[in-house]
Amino acid sequence: LPAGLSQWFPALEVLDVSGTGLAEMGAELLSLPCLHTLLAKNNRLGGPGSLPKGLGQAPLASSLRVLNLSGNRFADVPPVLLRLRGLRSLSLGGNRLHSIPPDIQELRSLEFLYLGGNFITSIPPELAKLPSLKYLVLCDNKIQSIPPQLAQLHSLRSLSLHNNLLTYLPREILNLVHLEELSLRGNPLVVRFVRDLTYNPPSLQELAGRTVKTRNVPYTPSDLPETLVRYLSLASNCPNPKCGGVYFDSCVRQIKFVDFCGKYRLPLMHYLCSPECSSPFSSASQSSTSQSESDSEDEASVAAHRMQKVLLG
Amino acid sequence: MEQPVQTETWKARSLEELVRILHQIFSEDKVSVEEVQALMESYESNPEEWLKYAKFDQYRYTRNLVDSGNGKFNLMILCWGEGHGSSIHDHTDSHCFMKILQGNLKETLFEWPEKKGNGEMTKKSERVLRENQCAYINDSIGLHRVENISHTETAVSLHLYSPPFDTCNTFDQRTGHKHKVTMTFYSQYGERTLC
Repeated sequence: LPAGLSQWFPALEVLDVSGTGLAEMGAELLSLPCLHTLLAKNNRLGGPGSLPKGLGQAPLASSLRVLNLSGNRFADVPPVLLRLRGLRSLSLGGNRLHSIPPDIQELRSLEFLYLGGNFITSIPPELAKLPSLKYLVLCDNKIQSIPPQLAQLHSLRSLSLHNNLLTYLPREILNLVHLEELSLRGNPLVVRFVRDLTYNPPSLQELAGRTVKTRNVPYTPSDLPETLVRYLSLASNCPNPKCGGVYFDSCVRQIKFVDFCGKYRLPLMHYLCSPECSSPFSSASQSSTSQSESDSEDEASVAAHRMQKVLLG
Repeated sequence: MEQPVQTETWKARSLEELVRILHQIFSEDKVSVEEVQALMESYESNPEEWLKYAKFDQYRYTRNLVDSGNGKFNLMILCWGEGHGSSIHDHTDSHCFMKILQGNLKETLFEWPEKKGNGEMTKKSERVLRENQCAYINDSIGLHRVENISHTETAVSLHLYSPPFDTCNTFDQRTGHKHKVTMTFYSQYGERTLC
């Protein structure tokens, strides 16, 4: 960036330096108090010094709303970027990212996040802590699974997951109340019930924990070591409505196919507390679920009504 | 549109002229596919002429009506954000011309699924269309998916459909199942339409 930029243009609001071969953006950025949009796509940014130190303290940290760094060479998200508290829109499409830092949750104002066309293999659950996120693009990556916590993205309207390595989705995806668009094409989604899901038998600790919870054995923090009190608080309820049970770490992962208005069948993964804990309609020996279980059917028809634009392919 | 008629070599020097010549061509009883395709290709995209129709939406591609061709055709501009794509769809027995005005679009052709098909749809071919190129498709050729695969550039395309249609079928690539959809315009004649 040319030295003296902030002296010549102190009121600069939009700066577009895309396609200029830039490898570093230096201290000149730090003294632009009104800058709200910075477009720097298709450059050579990605190495150290791509973004100036001290970005977190600059006026930019609260004034910048839109940052486009797509088509560069970022192999990881520079920590200093996460200090841009006012950022609403971030694009890092077409870079070389292998992961998303959990501290992405610091971008509290983020509404639009484009990470398509990278090498991302997994999504940190912390991504779900972005309360205003409306549009999340993760297409063309190497993602194998979606953390169920993503269902906490209450504002999410559009989720792009096409061309990844997903075989199923977490059933919690049905909880995304505002989701109108979901793209899933180009994923190796399982089409038939997977027979050989492994089941690790529960540990003694887990069995004891289950008993405490299901029999409502009373306890107070002074009765147990703190670690066990915390452990007991992590019990998950078995989604099978006919079972009142809980599980901790040991559970059966089962894939249920949920119909969306009879048009698309999404394989959703859910957890049951034991292999015996399946409802009469689906069991481990069933080859394909042409009938959905009654509980998921109700949820599915509600979700399907919402997700009118499920773009499966 | 049936057998080729005497084909003229048109050159549209502006979008306005393109529309005018299209009206002329379509006022005849017989229209040649090759003629229309050549005409569309001859127009060299000039953003100043179509910018007012190019309204982008951040979530998905938009359809913006430019001209309704006296009922004989619809001419519209589609705006594709980064990563935006369409489902696999048919063209309801109409002719479809697609010209790239800006950026690139990938077109993937598919075979029609079998009647009682319950398997993955068959890809026939794919290609990337560049600026000013014009592709043509109709139901006898097959089905297609169109997508902007760029993560850094937007794309804009000019589409002509004759006869005009507002419903089509979309297809699930994994099963071949189809489902009818109604298409709407994001804007008409440069004005945003709210629906």
